[in-house]
Amino acid sequence: MPEQVDRIFKAIADPTRREIINLLVVAATSLSITQITEKFDISRQGITKHIKSLEDAGLISISSEGREKYCSATPIQLKVVYDWLTSYEQFWTDKLNDLDDFLNKKYTTN
Amino acid sequence: MKDLIKKDHTYAHSIDRVWAAITDPAQITAWFIKANFKAEVGYDYTFQHEQTIIKGKVLEVSPVTKLVYTWNVSGTGDVETTVSWQLSPIPEGTHLTLEHSGISNYPEEGLATTMFDNFSKGWINCISELEKYLKEVAHA
Repeated sequence: MPEQVDRIFKAIADPTRREIINLLVVAATSLSITQITEKFDISRQGITKHIKSLEDAGLISISSEGREKYCSATPIQLKVVYDWLTSYEQFWTDKLNDLDDFLNKKYTTN
Repeated sequence: MKDLIKKDHTYAHSIDRVWAAITDPAQITAWFIKANFKAEVGYDYTFQHEQTIIKGKVLEVSPVTKLVYTWNVSGTGDVETTVSWQLSPIPEGTHLTLEHSGISNYPEEGLATTMFDNFSKGWINCISELEKYLKEVAHA
């Protein structure tokens, strides 16, 4: 198995890392490690480790701005993940939850 | 691969609110995907997420209970799938049933399911090769 393929496979075999990729794809913009960490019940250190593995697999790219690091999904490598998303199961589950969040925020009585 | 994805979800909001969220382009853009959309039968809509463009035609509009449109992802050939949103009022708010059909129209090649299959086959081959090798070594 080619090393790169092996790395992608390992990277997306982990549910947290799949969630990170999904988050970046859905966000459609780069997110800081702080922003990503906020979405998970995992330490920043744990998230950083996952992000490193995703970067090694070429699934995300990282850029530094000041003291913060920003991550974005890498579309070409993401073809694999995109294909995985076309199973749509997770996509719709996430989107229907997003709709819930949207409605709850929009109609919160201040 | 199954042809239909069906999801049920209950929202603690009135059916009018949920209907607006799935038909008003500004609201669709806010929670779902960047949208050029009109809830009018025959309207050719465009959804965009980064480089991914989804186009389709509105097939059915029954305010505030049913919305159906085709869903064609650019770059996936002419594969046509259909997304249907059905709303019904319930005491807790609104019940949504989402159905995405025609999924099996996607070619098997390149799909992640295939990829995973290939990977596991690859690993099985690898393991059986290793087994063979180890046997040979042991008997050498």
